[in-house]
Amino acid sequence: MSPGLSYVVIRSHALLADLLTPEQMRALAGQESLEGFVEILAETPYGHIAIEEEGDASIALEKVFYEKFISRMMGIVDLAPIDIGDFLQSYYYIRFEVINLKRIIRGKYSGLPGTDVLNSLIPIVPYRVKSYEELVEAPTFEEAIRSLEGTPYAPLISSLELSERYNALWPVEIALNHLNASVIFKSLEHLPQSARDIVRRIVQVEADVENFLVAVKQRGAGERAHSAEEMFPATYGINLDKLREAMETDDISAVIRGLGHPYDEILAPIYEGDVALIRSRLRQHIYKVAKRGRIANDFGFNAVMAYLVFSEIEKDDLVGIGWGITQGITSEDILNYLAIPNFV
Amino acid sequence: MIALSVTTGVRPTKGYLMEMKRRIGFIERGTEFLKLKRDHLAKELTSSIDVLKGRRSRLLENLRVAYRAVTAANISLGPIEVRSQASSLKTGLKLEVLPRAVMGVRYPFIKVETEPQITGELDITLSEAAEKVLSILDDILQLAEFEARVERIADELGKTNRKVNALENTIIPSYRRVIKFIEDKLDEESLEELVRMKLIGGALARRRE
Repeated sequence: MSPGLSYVVIRSHALLADLLTPEQMRALAGQESLEGFVEILAETPYGHIAIEEEGDASIALEKVFYEKFISRMMGIVDLAPIDIGDFLQSYYYIRFEVINLKRIIRGKYSGLPGTDVLNSLIPIVPYRVKSYEELVEAPTFEEAIRSLEGTPYAPLISSLELSERYNALWPVEIALNHLNASVIFKSLEHLPQSARDIVRRIVQVEADVENFLVAVKQRGAGERAHSAEEMFPATYGINLDKLREAMETDDISAVIRGLGHPYDEILAPIYEGDVALIRSRLRQHIYKVAKRGRIANDFGFNAVMAYLVFSEIEKDDLVGIGWGITQGITSEDILNYLAIPNFV
Repeated sequence: MIALSVTTGVRPTKGYLMEMKRRIGFIERGTEFLKLKRDHLAKELTSSIDVLKGRRSRLLENLRVAYRAVTAANISLGPIEVRSQASSLKTGLKLEVLPRAVMGVRYPFIKVETEPQITGELDITLSEAAEKVLSILDDILQLAEFEARVERIADELGKTNRKVNALENTIIPSYRRVIKFIEDKLDEESLEELVRMKLIGGALARRRE
């Protein structure tokens, strides 16, 4: 273990204490007003957060929580040895940039004003593209995608043909999902062999669940259903045959049971028609993978990854709580879709 | 202060009496029509309220289900992502509000020009929520239209009732008083005329003797 890694591992151990406990999460979700939420949050390492009076408070909160997560992540990247730092930066920045690109492309596709698109972006500096503003200012969404020539996102240009054929955006979004997973898998090469497993398991299960959900959505589309090969350019733990089966079956529960662990557990809410619960289950599974990775090796990369995974799930839960409180949703309904308070 | 009675300024002539009688006949016929309208509106309102209660409770239950799906989508995806995905829908909801009338009561009729098209860009969570909202969109519009109709009918019923009451309790009695006043005046005048004639007749007879 390099001295750089030891330091960042110890730092991660120390920073784990800054993360919110399930009890604190429950207390936050139980608040009836935004003021109460901010007050409770002020007693945690988040400190006092100022929310602009104008505009949607839940959007402002989401930005605050993203900024906090990015600063936590960058704090680790700055301390980590170069190979691990490069990997972590690429892992998170590519993911966030893919989300930003999707938002830009959607905005361009529907003709949303440029300022609205820019306001919806995750607050990161452009990572592999030159500028988000330039993409937003492109005259059409096709031209925005073509301007990605020369970047790691260049393969998106080939998805334009499908997009034009179906007059839809999904081919571009699916190509971006695939690109995200493949770039992360490629960047795993920077990591030592022992550290790759935890990341591979997380990325794989995420990509598999996303693919499966896309397949489930195609059920009942009949002749309008798109071909499985076009929709799933890359598959991981759930292969193309299984995805095709999910698209064509009348009995989805049989297909899910056939997928085995962990998919049968994560996808079980489909039986009751509550697809939103799948993401909560997925986050809980990722939380479990990170926790087990830490148990297996608490003095290496796994401890660093666990801190970042917990931190990201905390951010997602806090975004959900923030929105729920601004909308006056009951704490019971909010807690239902959170990962950390429900983690057993 | 000078108190003005209903008979102030009334000309006690036979022509005016005939005009008053013609008017009161017209008003009474109008009152009968208004009563008929009032009864029809009351009947329509009673039956509409029952329908409205049923529709509203059904819609509220469906809305609860749809809102739960929207809540789940927002909590699991985050509000910014939900907005971003929702903005990728190219066709939005376009409505035209046209006027319609029942028994002279105008109410809005909503015509859907274009419905939002979910073309597969949405995440499954949001897509399910959107489908649930879309499935009750027609019910929401129909209920809004029906509520507006019921509201206008209730409003019109109130107005008609006030008109009938005013006619029955104020206008018609006042006309009757005027008519009675003129009739009394005319009777008095004819009696005076008769007495005068009798006196003149008596005086002429005495002169002839």
